[in-house]
Amino acid sequence: MNRAKNAKLVLWILAGFAAAVALNRYLFGLGVTTNLNDRTPWGFWIGFDVMAGVALAAGGFVTTAVFYIMKREEFHPLVKPAVLTAFLGYVAVVVGLLFDLGLPWNIWHMIIYWNPHSPLFEVGWCVMLYTSVLLLEFSPVPLEEYSRYAKIRNFLMKYRFVLVLLGIMLSTLHQSSLGSLFLIMPERLYPLWYTHILPIEFFISAVALGLMMVAFETLVSHWLYRRDPETVLVGKLCRVAAWVLALYFVVKSFDLGITGKLGLVFNGKWQSDLFIVEIAVSTIIPAVMFAVPRLTRKPVVQWTGSFMVVAGMVLNRIDVGGLAMYDSTASYTPSWMEIAISLGVVSAACLVFLFVLERFNIWEIKPADPESMPQTAPSFDYSSRSWLGTPDAASLARHSLAFVLSFALGMGMMSGKRLHAEGVDSIRVSPATGIDTLCINGNRDDQYVEFSHEGHIAWLRTHAISLTIDGVVHTASPSGGDSCTFCHHLNLPGEKVSNCAECHTSMYSEVDFFRHGWHASAVGANLKCDDCHATGVTRNAASAKKCTACHRGYDFAPGKGAAGPELYIPSYVDAMHKLCVSCHIADLREVSSLSQTNGGILSGKDKSNLAQCASCHRTGVPPELRADMKWQVKLPHYDNVVLPNVGVTVK
Amino acid sequence: MTTSSLLEFARGPLFRLSFAILILGLGRIIFLEIWGIIKAYGNTCDMKMPWQLIRSRSLEWILPVKRMMRNRDVYSVVSFLFHFGLLIVPIFLFAHINLWQQSVGITWPALPYLWAFWLALSTIVFGATMLIGRMAVKQMRFLSKPQDYFWLILLLTPFVTGFICANLSINAAFYQFIMVVHVLAGDLIFILIPFSKIAHCVLAPFSQVVGAIGWKFPSGADEAITRTLDSPKG
Amino acid sequence: MSKAILTDVTKCIGCLKCVSACKEVHHLDADVPRVWDKNDGLSAENWTAIVFKDGRYVRKQCRHCLEPACASVCPVGALHKTSIGAVVYDSSKCLGCRYCMMACPFGIPRYEWDKAVPHVEKCILCYDRIEEGKQPACTEACPTGATIFGERKELLPLVHARIEANPGKYIDKVWGEHEVGGTSVLYLSDIDLGFLTYPTVKGDKPLPQETVTAMESVPFAFVGMGGAMLGLNWIIRRRMKLGEEKAKKKDPAHE
Repeated sequence: MNRAKNAKLVLWILAGFAAAVALNRYLFGLGVTTNLNDRTPWGFWIGFDVMAGVALAAGGFVTTAVFYIMKREEFHPLVKPAVLTAFLGYVAVVVGLLFDLGLPWNIWHMIIYWNPHSPLFEVGWCVMLYTSVLLLEFSPVPLEEYSRYAKIRNFLMKYRFVLVLLGIMLSTLHQSSLGSLFLIMPERLYPLWYTHILPIEFFISAVALGLMMVAFETLVSHWLYRRDPETVLVGKLCRVAAWVLALYFVVKSFDLGITGKLGLVFNGKWQSDLFIVEIAVSTIIPAVMFAVPRLTRKPVVQWTGSFMVVAGMVLNRIDVGGLAMYDSTASYTPSWMEIAISLGVVSAACLVFLFVLERFNIWEIKPADPESMPQTAPSFDYSSRSWLGTPDAASLARHSLAFVLSFALGMGMMSGKRLHAEGVDSIRVSPATGIDTLCINGNRDDQYVEFSHEGHIAWLRTHAISLTIDGVVHTASPSGGDSCTFCHHLNLPGEKVSNCAECHTSMYSEVDFFRHGWHASAVGANLKCDDCHATGVTRNAASAKKCTACHRGYDFAPGKGAAGPELYIPSYVDAMHKLCVSCHIADLREVSSLSQTNGGILSGKDKSNLAQCASCHRTGVPPELRADMKWQVKLPHYDNVVLPNVGVTVK
Repeated sequence: MTTSSLLEFARGPLFRLSFAILILGLGRIIFLEIWGIIKAYGNTCDMKMPWQLIRSRSLEWILPVKRMMRNRDVYSVVSFLFHFGLLIVPIFLFAHINLWQQSVGITWPALPYLWAFWLALSTIVFGATMLIGRMAVKQMRFLSKPQDYFWLILLLTPFVTGFICANLSINAAFYQFIMVVHVLAGDLIFILIPFSKIAHCVLAPFSQVVGAIGWKFPSGADEAITRTLDSPKG
Repeated sequence: MSKAILTDVTKCIGCLKCVSACKEVHHLDADVPRVWDKNDGLSAENWTAIVFKDGRYVRKQCRHCLEPACASVCPVGALHKTSIGAVVYDSSKCLGCRYCMMACPFGIPRYEWDKAVPHVEKCILCYDRIEEGKQPACTEACPTGATIFGERKELLPLVHARIEANPGKYIDKVWGEHEVGGTSVLYLSDIDLGFLTYPTVKGDKPLPQETVTAMESVPFAFVGMGGAMLGLNWIIRRRMKLGEEKAKKKDPAHE
């Protein structure tokens, strides 16, 4: 079993999967791929890709500090891999950020538009500079292979100490400034994590995480290529990490103690449980394990300890980045697509790491991966009599196939509804609920109009009335013949009464009514072009048949905002007011002695003088009707303060 | 699963999956082909390539006028027209473009209805002719493998079903059933193309180059291949 | 000349004229409930909304803080407070990091999550109309004078006068006078308006000041770390050198 080969296959699959999600994210926006929302605009990508990514890459500056500044020569075997990990880590952070930013093509704006007050500005600049520094620090390794670049390489080697020093200084800044990002939001971040010394805590934990990431990366890469593990060196790293973790723990406890937040740790809320898990996994257990020098030499302890620190500190960054918020300010769980992108970015970085490891002089001996050895004989698959090519051709074919198939699977898994970025449901206005007595509450604001359907039917059965709307006379007679169409002007096929909200889909704006695609579609009305458009003239709405040519008896009127001949439907509010007020206007006139009405509709100025709005619009939906409101189940975000469009108090 | 939900699945998620496999899969084999050609070219002893000959041979295969004059008159014409309809009709059909416009918002010029009708009909007829020819002519039957019959039938399925849906008046339930067959067959074709002989739709341009390189290998290369074939390591 | 809007909650009848006027003036699209909505009426297409609370209609909009957190955190300065008091957004600078949305103590800025080219959307106090000498669309449309527009300096005395003139009618507090350093949108109310802010926002300290200490110590941290590392390096090298000399002295035949 070839460990490196299988690992690469898995990484390619993850990368392909992420590529499909990435395509959708760039074509259709953040809303279809993420669960980010107006309440929680930062999520998993900021927490994991950026904050945890930068912290994971801290191994670069910690190792170079140990080797070049503190002159601990024995750590030499770890320096090149650590700098490479750091460089790829930072590149992964930038790539991950390109997915999270709404306008990623503007990322360079930070270079020309300055706002030095912003911690993010400082982080951005430091990341830019430090990534360049890391590139310069690492480039002597690949340049070694090409003798014509010897001059550049010698120059870089000569000033390596300066680069290392600059790298450490820049890292100090942005590792801590990532914590400063959150200083401005004490109202969001839960107090167990929010502290004024967050930058300092971030820096200390980054040092610990950096050490342990180097240890973990060494353990994993040596396991993959079946090399002798660097047990002694990793053990030394663990012992140093024990001290840093202890310092982190002391600083954190003191801070909690001084600010009087210790009580919050044990108050039983989910945030406090999360905090306990995080601090136990990231700090307490590994620190205790590493405190015994004898234990640090055991591979089991090294593996579990370093993994716990890495996982725990990543959890810490995710917590600060969006998970550990007050209940009232956050409502968010990452979507599978967000996680897929993050995994894909990490996988791609790992693939580049393995490639560089096999191609260049990172270790004293390049790892013997049978796939990368071209002198191996070409092979045939006897059963299918097919040419498998040389081993590198075979691996190329296998990896690209894995990428293609997982990409396709990712494309298939996008839900069509999300692709089109639909809303809560296709109906934008909630339909009236109730049976005999309707509760009309279109904008879901807990303000409703109680409408007695039975009562109106009974009234219409005994009165003959006529009404003029938009120049069309509508009549209702006691015989009952026209009574339904007096109000219900458009019914669905099969005599099913259509909801007002099905056509008057927008609360306050006019909407375009005509669905051309549906009329032309074979699964819709299945009409040929010639059925509506005359030949020989420009085929547009003006030259087309009028709707009433087929839909006889219906009342289509161009809307007030419609410059062209397209059909518009008035907003729900306008329609309902027109429907009710045009009948009730006579009563209103008597009561309020209005001098004028605006074609049956009250203008805003008149309305302000009317105390009578409240006679229809009531407060508080009656409980028996409330149970009927399906939208309450569909809306995902609950709040103990305000709800839908205009606010509901939920106990 | 009802027919309509199966239809939605087949032209939604399944279509996206198969279309992705088609596009990326074809890109993959083009890449692998070019990569292999470059590797093989590096191993030739004579670096000169007969580009002129390669170009004229390729054109000859794509527009088989010369061949028509010689021994394969009927087959050449039928095959050419079949390929023409096979490519043009699905891409430029109004109903297909309409689906693209509705889902992702892109659009391009469509075939007039009459053109689409006759082209689709001719593709079905010529396809059927090729199928019958394969079974009837002795030499062709001898050369044919099961997959040759399978592909002709599979390629004709969406054409026949699509033709029925677009032009015949049938009841709604049957329409939906036919439509499901149409879309599923299309999806299956997309998925299989990059892994089958139909990949010649993109690999054809390279076939003459590969042939030309084959002549340029050093003498004795064949022996090396034989040795490799016989070696127990395989 | 810092302009301001005053909303007297007791006068609002909830007619939504301000909402539709705002939509009309800024050419905002039809509002569609989306999964990413915060469900308080505000959205990328609704820059102001009426919240119904305790029997009162409360208009919600950007508060145009005197020291806006959003503008202080924006890494490219796409948001800034203009001299007339409006906090405005420059979409051509924005890179879409959404830090402004995280930092806002009132949770106001909204994002166009459904767009492939998304921008931050919020009330801009109709600064272009103000510059033309007009007043914001919402205050102009208000039929009852519940929400009015004027100089902040002139509005504040007016508010206090109104409270004194109607003893017992209002809560003796002007929302927006002091919170988070004061805002250009003021509220007068007979119900508690604490819900307009995140419940956890406390005090009158402007939020940008929370980061000042950290940001001011940046140069010191930079130079300090460099100095410390150089010093450490010097000490270690010197100790190594001394150690070598000592070894040499002890055993001159070593070399």
